[in-house]
Amino acid sequence: MDVDDLIFQGADYHYKGELDKAIAKFQAAVRIEPQNEYAHNQLGILYAKKERFDAAFREFQKVAQIDGHNTYALLWLGILYLKQGNLNQGFEKFRRIIEIDPNNADAYYFLGAIYNFRHNTAKAIKYLKKARDADSDESDTHYRLAQAFHNLDMTANALLEYQRTLALKPSHTKAINGIGWLYYNRGERDAAIAEWKKTLKMNPRDRDAIFNLAKAYNDFAWEAMKRNKPKEAISYWKKTLGVDPKNKAAVHYLKKYKA
Amino acid sequence: MDRRHFLRWIGKGILGTSGYWLCARGVAWGKSAFEYALEGQNLIAAKRFAEARDVLKEAVRLDPKSDWAHGLLGRAHHGLGQKAEAVAAFREAVRINPADTYSRMMIEIITQKPIRRLKKPVRPLTPLEKKARAEEEAMLSQLTPEGGLAYQVKRVVIDPGHGGFDSGAVGPTGLKEKDVTLDLAQSVKQKISEKGRIKCFLTRTGDYYIPLSDRTVIANQYQADLFVSIHINANENRKAHGCETYYCSEKASSKEAARVAAFENAVLKYDEPFKKRPGYINIEEILFNFERRLYWEESGKFARTFQNRFEQALPFKSRGVHSANFFVLRRAKMPSILLETGFISNHDEEAALKKASIRDEIVAAVIRGLLNGRG
Repeated sequence: MDVDDLIFQGADYHYKGELDKAIAKFQAAVRIEPQNEYAHNQLGILYAKKERFDAAFREFQKVAQIDGHNTYALLWLGILYLKQGNLNQGFEKFRRIIEIDPNNADAYYFLGAIYNFRHNTAKAIKYLKKARDADSDESDTHYRLAQAFHNLDMTANALLEYQRTLALKPSHTKAINGIGWLYYNRGERDAAIAEWKKTLKMNPRDRDAIFNLAKAYNDFAWEAMKRNKPKEAISYWKKTLGVDPKNKAAVHYLKKYKA
Repeated sequence: MDRRHFLRWIGKGILGTSGYWLCARGVAWGKSAFEYALEGQNLIAAKRFAEARDVLKEAVRLDPKSDWAHGLLGRAHHGLGQKAEAVAAFREAVRINPADTYSRMMIEIITQKPIRRLKKPVRPLTPLEKKARAEEEAMLSQLTPEGGLAYQVKRVVIDPGHGGFDSGAVGPTGLKEKDVTLDLAQSVKQKISEKGRIKCFLTRTGDYYIPLSDRTVIANQYQADLFVSIHINANENRKAHGCETYYCSEKASSKEAARVAAFENAVLKYDEPFKKRPGYINIEEILFNFERRLYWEESGKFARTFQNRFEQALPFKSRGVHSANFFVLRRAKMPSILLETGFISNHDEEAALKKASIRDEIVAAVIRGLLNGRG
């Protein structure tokens, strides 16, 4: 069979989720054409999907040996290094990609994410903006950029990027929760509550939204107590238990002040 | 010469370029998108890619929802070596029809290597975008992206353990853990704020109870870079003494560490943010696990730094650094450590913890740990 046919069939099986059949086709393709970079890259992805990460690694390395400018293979080598917990090697791969291709949104994204993990926010912003400008269609790029801006209290930028995240992926609950904190920290508490409730509507088990709401209601309860309004406080603690039925603070104080 | 070519020729002569386009677009004669696409397909087969591209552009203009026409346009661009345009057309085809194997495959093949970036249309800024740009100009001029991969701490959340009805451990003469931790935390906040290099937030500022879940929520609320939970240890054996530092890890470093974590942890079960999907690689899960591992490693470094400060500064025996799976530390999206600054159950250490001078030394050690905070 012709290599092109094998590759097309392999790709078709891959997209349909028939991973073993796809692997067989691509393996046949590389037997005929051992230098076929696309077939090796596909094998790499397929092995990774089968959690055969060592085999995946070898395929991507083969591609990088065939052509050191195959940025797709370099990207996956970087990702697999991160999977191994190897920060420096992963970082190097992504850095190498942007030397080869200064427009590579994926490499900028991973570099930005790494700087975010190191809480080097200024550098994270620098790289994530490049990722965003090279390809603005990735919701997670906007989300991580929002986080970086949020970390610097650049609330307009954080809000804008959270909103862009949601424009691309309305179910991105982390972005909704982030917007909630932006509102909460600037005193717009009802708006914050509305955001976290939105998350719970999408996923009633979202722990971040549950704990955020519980924390907010507990805060409101304490403020009511300070204003000597125990009834109001009780209503808030009840709300806490509505979202987090085992919340120790609400359980205790409700018992205490209801009595 | 067919009708269209004839009319294009006439149009060129009479109307110049605009006439060429009017005719090429087949406006007057209502040629269908299907017909243009079919013609494009034949031109591609004949390797007449430039002509194919032109008629296929017409096809997608007339029927923007035709994945077939977009896919063919991608092939025409690819035939002309116009990779970026080809990818754009194939992407549109896949967007319309995700089952278009050929277009998907072509995107993957072409994007294995660098391609030129297409210019994006410029549009006016929204009010929020204008505000964001002004904010960015003001803020980023003060920030120079510098530093390598070293972990940076600019915001810290200090968590005074226990509070309210939960007094924590109580010493032989009645000293309460919750009071000592609050006093220490407030002093740390005041002194670190005076230095101005690090923003400091407290999880509680008075004698009230905060559940464990709220404590890490506060750390996440402020996007903190480090979470430090302050506790005072206790043991049934009143001879037990010294200070130790804990950090979060998957496995406890000892049986004792596991016991302490079990005691501190709430009854809440841990949630797993990513569900396994066979045959699917979740990049964000890889990043999440990588991030968590980095934070745990970094927590270990912070724990060793803080414990070193305690060893140097405090009149307490060092009991070393331990790790365990603490709920209060696990949910924090940043490195986090738990300090046990002495045993309140021990007569001598309870007496020491009552002294302002010892508390000052603890606070100074914590601040040195924060300012130099790397292992």
